[in-house]
Amino acid sequence: MSQQFPYTYYSCSCVDTPTSLLPLSRKSVEARSSSDEEETTFDPRSSRANFSLYPLEHLLYCTECHQMRCSRCTTEEVLCWYCPSCLFEVPSSTVRSEGNRCTRSCYNCPICTSFLTVNLLDAPTEAQRDAEQPPGPFILSCSYCNWTSLDIGIKFDKANNITGQLQRVRNGGIIVPTPKERENQAERLLRKQPNHEEEEEVKSPLEETPAAQAPPDADDFFSNLNSFYKSQLADTETSAGPAEFNVHSPSSIQRLLNLYSTGKKTKRGKPKPMRESLTTAEGLQEYSSSSEEELIHRLATSGWEATTSPSQRSFQERHPPRFTSDLRPTATLLRTKRSKRCKTCRTLLSRPEPKVNTTRYKIKVLALNNIPKVSIRSLNTTPQSLLTDLVTISSSMQQKEYTTLHPLMPYQFLLTLTNPLFDPIKVTLATPTTTPGRVQTRVTILCPQFDVGANTDVWDDALNSTSSQNNPKRKSAAPGLSVASPPDNSDGKQAEAGKIWDKGRNWTSVIVEVVPGVLPGTPAFVGEGGEVREDEGVVECPVFVKVEYESEGLGAGETPERVRMVGEGKEKREVAFWCVLGVGKIVG
Amino acid sequence: MATRPTATRKTAKGEYIETDSGNKVSRKANISGTPNITLGGKTVIMADVHLRGDLTRPKAATPDPKGAKQSSTSISIGRCTVVSTGTVIRPPGRMSRGVYTYYPMKIGDNVFVGPNCVIQAASISSHVHISENCVLQPLCVIKENVKILPHTVVPANMVVPPNSVVGGRPGRIVGEVGEGYGVSVGAVAGGSGEGWVEGGDLRELVRIIK
Ligand SMILES: [Zn+2]
Ligand SMILES: [Zn+2]
Ligand SMILES: [Zn+2]
Ligand SMILES: [Zn+2]
Repeated sequence: MSQQFPYTYYSCSCVDTPTSLLPLSRKSVEARSSSDEEETTFDPRSSRANFSLYPLEHLLYCTECHQMRCSRCTTEEVLCWYCPSCLFEVPSSTVRSEGNRCTRSCYNCPICTSFLTVNLLDAPTEAQRDAEQPPGPFILSCSYCNWTSLDIGIKFDKANNITGQLQRVRNGGIIVPTPKERENQAERLLRKQPNHEEEEEVKSPLEETPAAQAPPDADDFFSNLNSFYKSQLADTETSAGPAEFNVHSPSSIQRLLNLYSTGKKTKRGKPKPMRESLTTAEGLQEYSSSSEEELIHRLATSGWEATTSPSQRSFQERHPPRFTSDLRPTATLLRTKRSKRCKTCRTLLSRPEPKVNTTRYKIKVLALNNIPKVSIRSLNTTPQSLLTDLVTISSSMQQKEYTTLHPLMPYQFLLTLTNPLFDPIKVTLATPTTTPGRVQTRVTILCPQFDVGANTDVWDDALNSTSSQNNPKRKSAAPGLSVASPPDNSDGKQAEAGKIWDKGRNWTSVIVEVVPGVLPGTPAFVGEGGEVREDEGVVECPVFVKVEYESEGLGAGETPERVRMVGEGKEKREVAFWCVLGVGKIVG
Repeated sequence: MATRPTATRKTAKGEYIETDSGNKVSRKANISGTPNITLGGKTVIMADVHLRGDLTRPKAATPDPKGAKQSSTSISIGRCTVVSTGTVIRPPGRMSRGVYTYYPMKIGDNVFVGPNCVIQAASISSHVHISENCVLQPLCVIKENVKILPHTVVPANMVVPPNSVVGGRPGRIVGEVGEGYGVSVGAVAGGSGEGWVEGGDLRELVRIIK
């Protein structure tokens, strides 16, 4: 899926683009020296640009710093955790003890990541159909790819508490103790033998369970090693020694165990070197050539289909398996609602209501409401054709206006600035004459300096439009929106340098002329040839926008060089930023 | 809008039939089971849209006055919602107690459904933007302020939480919409060139469709 044209991205002020960080390959230096005189021209193709360009609706605004704020220059605080499937809020204490996954019955398909549903294995009989709780067995099944838990040999007796049931069953239906039970067993063993000299007597919790016959899996190794290290730490608790910071030292192992244990704080072990695990019961994973051979045999017989893909492996909660038959359904990851603060001054910029199902905000300071909106569209598109693009079947025809730019042909675009502020603004636009990079597209803004009216109350506008309804020359409420009046360019209007195209209540449109450059690899291309690199045909024009206005003094936190008193309690303000206009794609 | 009576009269002769509450239904739309469909007003149904109002819950064998009332509506669409060309809206169905049963579908206000979609969701909340060529499989639930990217297949039974962006086949939550999603500058008539934004108030869009 390619980007939809046209688009405007704003460069957040947190990313300075010093010249040293622009691509310094010889070619781009040549290109730049011939084109832009200003050293700080924003290059939308620089690798840093990716991290500072945002659509306007993703940007916040700090009223203290008078700067837009993106995800890089804000800090986040989690307000609440919730499961995206069952939409239940999870208390943060539960998140700390149980982890960041849903502990209800929300599971995702290990094959395709879709949500799994709990279904009856067999179609219910006539008698069962009317029963309140149909008898099992139940399975987890994916309606997208038709995977079911039967594929890994797991059935459930009850339709609820899938998490609890899954914990005690291994793939193939082997019943195993839950992690909690294993831990308890290990602790019981420790208490029974507080000073066990004979390591051979330490029994693995596994040996007392029916799963003993099955080969131990990764979970068993983990719990064995866990209990072994705990017993070792218990041994060393009494003896004292010098602190050591190697892998085998008790302190580092204690740290490691604390990482994996859930909330239980044990006293820091006295430092003394410990021995490593020696047997399988102690969690030692032995290399055996037979198991390797078995793996190879399995690969050879079951083939590509039976192996897992990298994305499937990384989607697992732990222990990425080689074969699809070893996959486990994954509990749904929780999501969060977060508030955002300015990184510089800690001002709260957005704070959603912490309820899962509401989309309301307690605080939300948007860039949208504080800096002008820059939008661009082809001059040839009428509102009606925009609409047709949006709602008709011919999506292949869509975008044609933008995706078939021919090199060296002049195209005219309509650049519109909309003012969200309640003060009129003075706008100055600047753009490098040619776009940075190998494909040099010439960009000319016919009228780089103009005023935009204030954003008055909506009702004022509505009243004005009613009173002036009979006036054929009345300014439309939105550019190109006045369907009743003839389309913009049907009256033979010509673009003129130094003159604005059209204006309304709080918006002004100017013409931008774009002459797409020549793609490398075509005969007309000047300079070092070669293949067309990815997205090199995309025309992105960097535009510098400077906005000046006088506003009621707000006082606090002003930077003196930006704001200067103009008397009558008004302040002169200046906002400046780079944005990138994606106007289309060049055809070769 | 009350201030534009001329526009209303014009549309009556055009492609759209406008109802008293301002719904615009294309003459080329394909609507089955009309009595089972409710439109909230100022809602647009475009050409080649197929509304399957005929797929209703089967009449209960035991007479249950409450149940009978509920089953009468199979598709209910809110205000200022736009259903684009070629889209099929089909109430979802599944096996329930041994019988294949259709469930009523509810679509909220200011929902945009792009062209060529197949919608079988259980419910779509308000301010949802569905791009072109999407499939919403049976009984998925789309919460408020969600954007569905083009060519997405939302798997059956999936719940899409508020403020998320969904994409892919099968659809996954690929991100969150920005804080400014659905906010237009200067309310009704922003200078965006369109006067409406994705996820925002669609009144302006509805107005220019004729
Ligand atoms: Zn930033
Ligand atoms: Zn859940
Ligand atoms: Zn699946
Ligand atoms: Zn700040």
